[in-house]
Amino acid sequence: MRFIGWRFGSGASEVHRGVDPAGAPVEEYLDRLLLTLSGSPRQVRHTLAEVEAHLHDAVAEETAAGKSRPEAEAAAVARIGSVCDVTGRRSAFGRPMAALLRRTALAGSLIGGVGLVAVGVSGAIARALAAMRGGSFVTAPFPPGSYTRADCARWLAGNPAAHNCVTAMIADHLGDIALQSYAAGIVGLLALTAYWIMRRRWHDRGTLTALPVGSAEAAGGLLALLVAIGTLGTGINAELVQRGQGAGQQFSLALAAVAAAMFFAIRLYGAVRSRRVDPVPHVAS
Amino acid sequence: MKSEKLKGNLDMLLLAVLAAGPGHGYSIITRLRERSDGAFDLPEGTVYPALHRLEAAGLLDSSWEVVAGRKRRMYRLTAAGQESLAEEARQWRAFTGSIAMVLGG
Repeated sequence: MRFIGWRFGSGASEVHRGVDPAGAPVEEYLDRLLLTLSGSPRQVRHTLAEVEAHLHDAVAEETAAGKSRPEAEAAAVARIGSVCDVTGRRSAFGRPMAALLRRTALAGSLIGGVGLVAVGVSGAIARALAAMRGGSFVTAPFPPGSYTRADCARWLAGNPAAHNCVTAMIADHLGDIALQSYAAGIVGLLALTAYWIMRRRWHDRGTLTALPVGSAEAAGGLLALLVAIGTLGTGINAELVQRGQGAGQQFSLALAAVAAAMFFAIRLYGAVRSRRVDPVPHVAS
Repeated sequence: MKSEKLKGNLDMLLLAVLAAGPGHGYSIITRLRERSDGAFDLPEGTVYPALHRLEAAGLLDSSWEVVAGRKRRMYRLTAAGQESLAEEARQWRAFTGSIAMVLGG
């Protein structure tokens, strides 16, 4: 195939002056394609280079046929078809926002998964604190008058070892806390499993989407830190104002949140460090 | 020709074009258009998923070469690709022959 554009010289001279003959429509098309392509970074880079070369050839041919540059660019983009034609995918995820949606799903499942696992871990910590400092340290009893005899009967039936209504109430609350925490932990593990599967399937890295590397880890770490500070403050308040009653649950959440924040910090450090060692490859020209 | 009919046979057509010699995406689609006298006119980008699929299947090989001052990915037929093309061409001729008989041609 001879490149008619080079023979007639218009494209070649503009390239020689450093001006890109393809122009904005082609650049916009390549931008959309970059956000839509999936696969390994190398696969994306190679496909992008192929399509860029194709468009340049098409623009040169259209220009040689007498079209103005804007007309040639528009014709070249029309000839190559939609980005879905190049990617070969017809699903809803073929739109240019697909990469951002994928990254959002990955970030959500990572942050949500770690957060829910932390809640699960806090349930175990709360159990340990209840064993050390008594159940009322973890969960404060309801104020007298706010519950009925029927409530007492229900709590005592569920906790036969309890000697009185308040002890049975606290034991029942501790059981609820444990159940809810462990359920959250299981959901968190499922979310992390989904994250692992999606990440293997999509091969996306932060460099190929609108979000920079480590953005999910930074967001998750910040969120965990805020939760840790909030629950620690609430726990300290309970310790001072309520003589420690109910402080244990807050402290257990704070400890779990700190662990989650450290997890995200380590991942963020690893992500930033790997980006410094292996910078984003430039698209071949 | 309706693009739906063409897409179903695109792999075979690409193998046939590359049987005449290696080429990059733009040259392949251009040769396809020329050899069909303009009858095969798909969106040009559709060749890329087909080429990548054929390469993943081992029917094509590719390498990066500088052509006219620009790096291009050149595709060429492998031995397995030649065998596949021969078989598909045989099946196509048998199929079109049967159709022609039914149509009374």
